[in-house]
Amino acid sequence: MALARSVFSAITAAMCFASVVGAQGTGSVRGRVVDSTNSQGLPNVSVLVEGTQLGTLTRSDGSFDLGGVTAGSHVIRARRIGYAARTVTVNVTAGGSTTADIKLTPQSTVLTEVVVTGYGTQRREAITGSVASLDAAQADKGVITNATQLVQGRVSGVEIIQNSGEPGAGSQIRIRGGTSISASNDPLYVVDGVPLQNEQTVAGAAGIGSINPALARNPLNSINPDDIESISILKDASATAIYGSRGANGVILIQTKRGAGGVSEMEYETYVGAASPAKTLGLLNGDEYRAFVKANVAKLGQSAVDALGPANTDWEKELTRTALATNHNLAFSGGSTQTHYRASLNYFDEEGVVKANGLRRYQGRLNAAHYAWNQKLRLGLNIMASRVNNTFSPSENTGGFLGGLFTNMVIYNPTFPVRRADGAYYEMGCPPNVQTCVPSAQDVRNPVAMAEQLMDRAPETRVLGNVNATVQIFDDLSAQTTLGADNTNSDRQTFAPRSSAVGAAYGGYARQAERSLQNTNFQQLLTYTPRFGVNHEFEIVGGYEYTKNDVQGFEAQMQGFITDAFGVDNLGAGTQASSPVPISYHDESQLVSFFSRANYGYAHKYYLTGVLRRDGSSRLAPGHQWEVFPAISGSWRLSEESFMRDMLPSSMSNLSIRLGWGKQGNQAVQPYQTQLLLRADPGASYPFGGTIVNGLRAAQVGNPDLKWETAAQTNLGIDYGFLNDRITGSLEFYQKDTKDLLLDVAVPQPAVVSTRIENVGSLRNRGIEASMDGQLYRSGKTTLSGGLTFTAERNKVTNIGGVKFINTGGVSGQGQSNQYSQRIMVGEPIGTFFGPKFLFVNAQGQQVFACKTGSPDCSNGQTTNPSDEDKVVLGSANPNFTVGLRNNLNWHNFDASWLWRGEYGGKVFNNTALVYASKSDATQGRNFLKSALSMPDAIGEPAKFSSRWVEDRTFTRLQNLTVGYLVPTQYTAGRQTRVYVSGDNLLLITNYTGYDPEVYVASGLASRGIDYLVYPPSRRFTLGARVQF
Amino acid sequence: MMNLLKRSVGGRRAWLRYVLAPALLLVGQNCTSLTEVPHDALTPETAFKTQAEILAGVAGVYAGLRPTEWVGFMTLEDLTTDAAVVPTRGNDWYDNGQWLDLHRQTWTANSAGELAFVDGAWNDLFSGVAKSNLMIDVISKSGLSQAGKDSTLAELRTLRAWYYYMLQDMFGGVPLVTTTELKQTARSPRDSVFKFLEKELLDSRQSLPDKWDAGNYGRVTKGVANAILASLYLNAGVFDKNSGWSATAYNSCKGVAVTGGDACAGAIAAASAVINSGVYTLNPNWYQNFSLDNKSSPENIFVIVHISDANGIGGSWPMRTLHYNQLNTGWGAPWNGFATIAESYNQFSSTDDRRGMWLVGQGKSFETGQAVNDRNGNPLIFTPSIADLDKASEGEGVRFNKFPPEPDAPTGQSHPNDFTIFRLSEMYLIKAEAELEAGNTAAAQADFNTIHNRHDAANPVTVSRDAILKERLLEFSAEGKRRTDMIRMGKFLSWTEASAHGHVNKSTEAFRLLFPISSNQLGSNPLLTQNPGY
Repeated sequence: MALARSVFSAITAAMCFASVVGAQGTGSVRGRVVDSTNSQGLPNVSVLVEGTQLGTLTRSDGSFDLGGVTAGSHVIRARRIGYAARTVTVNVTAGGSTTADIKLTPQSTVLTEVVVTGYGTQRREAITGSVASLDAAQADKGVITNATQLVQGRVSGVEIIQNSGEPGAGSQIRIRGGTSISASNDPLYVVDGVPLQNEQTVAGAAGIGSINPALARNPLNSINPDDIESISILKDASATAIYGSRGANGVILIQTKRGAGGVSEMEYETYVGAASPAKTLGLLNGDEYRAFVKANVAKLGQSAVDALGPANTDWEKELTRTALATNHNLAFSGGSTQTHYRASLNYFDEEGVVKANGLRRYQGRLNAAHYAWNQKLRLGLNIMASRVNNTFSPSENTGGFLGGLFTNMVIYNPTFPVRRADGAYYEMGCPPNVQTCVPSAQDVRNPVAMAEQLMDRAPETRVLGNVNATVQIFDDLSAQTTLGADNTNSDRQTFAPRSSAVGAAYGGYARQAERSLQNTNFQQLLTYTPRFGVNHEFEIVGGYEYTKNDVQGFEAQMQGFITDAFGVDNLGAGTQASSPVPISYHDESQLVSFFSRANYGYAHKYYLTGVLRRDGSSRLAPGHQWEVFPAISGSWRLSEESFMRDMLPSSMSNLSIRLGWGKQGNQAVQPYQTQLLLRADPGASYPFGGTIVNGLRAAQVGNPDLKWETAAQTNLGIDYGFLNDRITGSLEFYQKDTKDLLLDVAVPQPAVVSTRIENVGSLRNRGIEASMDGQLYRSGKTTLSGGLTFTAERNKVTNIGGVKFINTGGVSGQGQSNQYSQRIMVGEPIGTFFGPKFLFVNAQGQQVFACKTGSPDCSNGQTTNPSDEDKVVLGSANPNFTVGLRNNLNWHNFDASWLWRGEYGGKVFNNTALVYASKSDATQGRNFLKSALSMPDAIGEPAKFSSRWVEDRTFTRLQNLTVGYLVPTQYTAGRQTRVYVSGDNLLLITNYTGYDPEVYVASGLASRGIDYLVYPPSRRFTLGARVQF
Repeated sequence: MMNLLKRSVGGRRAWLRYVLAPALLLVGQNCTSLTEVPHDALTPETAFKTQAEILAGVAGVYAGLRPTEWVGFMTLEDLTTDAAVVPTRGNDWYDNGQWLDLHRQTWTANSAGELAFVDGAWNDLFSGVAKSNLMIDVISKSGLSQAGKDSTLAELRTLRAWYYYMLQDMFGGVPLVTTTELKQTARSPRDSVFKFLEKELLDSRQSLPDKWDAGNYGRVTKGVANAILASLYLNAGVFDKNSGWSATAYNSCKGVAVTGGDACAGAIAAASAVINSGVYTLNPNWYQNFSLDNKSSPENIFVIVHISDANGIGGSWPMRTLHYNQLNTGWGAPWNGFATIAESYNQFSSTDDRRGMWLVGQGKSFETGQAVNDRNGNPLIFTPSIADLDKASEGEGVRFNKFPPEPDAPTGQSHPNDFTIFRLSEMYLIKAEAELEAGNTAAAQADFNTIHNRHDAANPVTVSRDAILKERLLEFSAEGKRRTDMIRMGKFLSWTEASAHGHVNKSTEAFRLLFPISSNQLGSNPLLTQNPGY
């Protein structure tokens, strides 16, 4: 109470102190902001008159105009990402114009002066939580298809694993590790203040034959990375609590570029890139396979020899290609002092390294702001519309029983050709001159034919935007209203023609699956920034937010066509009787929030932040819908204390410590989980008398007690700067305890459905993050700067309810049903591999494993048939630590930058090797990995999961190397022109034998570190240019 | 709007009125809207308002039979015995050792097969119980006429009894729940489950029809209730006890007291009621009981109805047993898994016409009738012997073709032959066995001959317990009867086979007559106790 009272009186005091600034005569300030190293004009520098709301951005030549400045002495502050902020004092006379030229000194790349922190911005020094920010322009090297790639390796505590090398493929983004088992571990994305709907935007793949569900697309695919100005990553609870129930996995705030008033500007950027597979799996070629079969005729039979073909096909090579990527960006901005705008257009086309697969994006953006009422009203508009044409590689990734594209690439007999003599695709078991044939060896199909004949594409339209109005009610109080919307519509179109081996079994197959997402967001913010006394800084933000999510979809599929002519354009031409029924669905949910944040700073030494958010979600059970998420944090800038100055080394320019605690939530449950639902669908129907009677099926047991999964996080941070902040950095320690984990657990029987989502279990994440940035060298026209990030994280499951363990990490491949590679167990981290320990291959060619005395088939601690009791922990997929290192070198007009990333320790399960490094595949006429030739396993020995296939994951990667040249303006008629060459994924140093140790295959709850026939990762070279007009 | 905003700048009070008030109004409107209404699903409160919705709910209870067919019958009832085996064939069918674990009877409470199949059976069967309970609750409270209620309630209670029959067969005593709420319930003793089953079947058979019209074929009849009762009584020596059944000796129905007298007499009465009902006759063409058009067979009493449909509500037996190259459905080829062991195949004498249910020798395509090769191009030859169950070749083990495939099936789960749970021939064999136990050897011999002689009249057999066990193998292979039969006969653990790494006599492990309760279930319901021995 005492606290509340004093806060209240502080507010009252603040109101009283608030002075009304008299409107006497005004003048203007104009000038130019340049880079101190090369005197080039700096665009997009924020120029502000301190103590007022007056401000502008500089034009491309660095010039700026500020009108309406009250006469008198003013401090003008100029700041830009990547440069140290600078202030100059000017004297404005009524009706006069004052000139202020400002030189900015380049600073480390990550530290920014003003950081977007969610519902507002804060000066870097005043931030008390763990917030990383980066300048997108500095990170935008090589082919960047979405914003998350900008973050990779540049921010500590953020792990980004690309799901696959496929264009547009989703990625696993983990801020401070995964803290959820069943619920989402994805961070919240906020673009220009409006939360992005991070849902699968495209319908799942068709379920026919071998066309298997692909992984979720990246939600940022529709955003042009070139439009991004800055990215902030909120990591700890004190920073994310303002996002309450959606903050548990961290928040990524994306700010897009805005225009500056004044002269019109134009910028054009283009690049062209060429990518090729970075590594091959190493399969037997035709000659090697022939030799192997002939050498093993006793085991495989003479017919196996007779069945060999004459070809020498490298299926891996046949399926892949050198793929081109093209990008064009055109942006123009300008306006008057009253109106600023920036508009951009983007065309991006990326081919996949796998044939007939790619992504093409057309996108336009308009950001505009209009100032009225003597700058007291700001009307803003940010709108983006994009069309992304996704062309999927059909039946990518894990492949079911019948095998996906990459399965067939591995196993297809290399002695068979890609095409027959008549030009048609070769399919096993199909005689020549037959155009429509169902191959006899059902589960092996020509992968090149699959890629080229099967169509699986999804055009996707996204409109994302917001309108906002900010009224400066008083000098110290402003109100902002934002109305945002994020609408996506997509149509997944799948076609397997009759003439294809897959389609022949269906008489042709066509499907259209539409999906539409609508996310509506309303925000009302009040920001109160009273000024009283020189030493006090005070800001209170209060707000209300309402979000509505709506997901709808419709899909229809038909088979039994008489012709291939229609593709997916005439579903009615299929045979109704033999086709599955159409389906549709519709979900909606709402989130309502009240929040407030108070920042207080004293004398630039002490800062305190308190956050309170109350969220209500329709997805949770009545009585558990509302939850309060508080956070408190503070910082102390030791280096500002005079008594500390003597104790600190003289080179130390900044030292501050931060401490914070907060609570975050995860509401990532699907809607309607609290209710018992009955669905009418084929699974519930029953054919009485041979005629289907539609049935009602209880689809789920509701959980009327469902509530938020919450995490409490404590963060300790130390920020430091040396040599007048030429070197800066931070060190952070955190502990995050997640409780009421959302888990799909068995319910007591009888129950209509055997499991439901419940809040059971808890886990703990602890970590250390360090980052350092600095200008390492500077002399004349040469500068070298660099940055280093380090992350070490430990995860431990502390409770999973009544069960002893949860099997996860399902093993893929032939003969691997109900085989799991991982277990979630108390005391172990998520991603713990669990299985028998491999010893050796015995003289009979059988694998021998360690076993416990007394377990079935165990003698002398050895068995060929391990049982459940023989399984042990085989390590975890989590790295011991990860490191990122980047440098920027400038020499005269040349610049170069590079980024290294590495993860050390941790395991990866090579599922691909488990099932394909097996000579037993030859008994089925199938190819296998060359590495199997040197393994002593007998032909016929089944693939058994064990420690043998769990490999070391350590790697170091040269992620990007870029060399650029700034063309002297005398050759470009005064235009700023930069040309560059860039290489991505140039070098990978690892002992891992598969494609790439940085993998993610979804196989069960929270599984990680499993590699199974992922889309081949690529290496890419890019040539680009940027011209400013 | 402009005017309003302009005025609002005028002074503090005006601002409060025009900016704050609408904002608060918006807040007030939106924060109440947290109720969620499903758009594409019903809830028990909104469903079952019409006759069609009630029928849909009943259909949903029947649909629950489909999963039990695969896990319950084919996997747990047949694979754990000499009737079937899934050998490991190179890289095929190792599957964490789950298949051979069942066949060798080496499962543990947490082994792969236990967590997959046994846990699955528990869930599938109890889901059937829960669906029945939900519909019984709905119909009891509905506005249906009393007569309409009685017959539908009887139908649902009989289905629920069948789900409980299978539960107690696999696990012994289980939680007995007849209400709809989700709660932790302790296991009832097995004899209580038996009494409950008996009462439910006796009560409901009164209200069941003798026969449904063609459009309702497959729904529960009086014959179904009697057939379940007959089987329940025959197995009373095991089912009606909490312990004390024998793992190594015959468990007779004789002397087990049930409603109205001795269990053997009960079995005879129930079986006779079916035989004498006039509804069923033995089909002179035995194979038609399992053929694609077996809906017209007069012998079948209780079936799981299948159709050939793109939504996959048909059978999948052929997929599990046939070789890859023998068939091509919309799902692709069969999976070359299930076979039988030589010892069982050899029990079919050359003169027994049922021997034709096996595929042996050169494998042929079901589409062209032509001989096919294995995947390496060698002729596909099915051999009765499987030299080593751990590394069988593609052709080892004769294959089931009792339920033949539909070559044009749109999916692998779309073979239209109904799966037979009870046929009239079983009523004769139940009656024969019960008569034998009751000491009526002549009657037993007559009933036995009715079945045996229609297939192998050339080799008459004198009725005995062993003869009946053998006859039941010949008659019901692939119909999911073997485990129950062998337990009743005291032979479930003691059979052996010549195949390397095959089943060895496990007579000392009497606890295996019941499956363990999976750790998932024990975790979700602390009132459950594990079966002894696990």
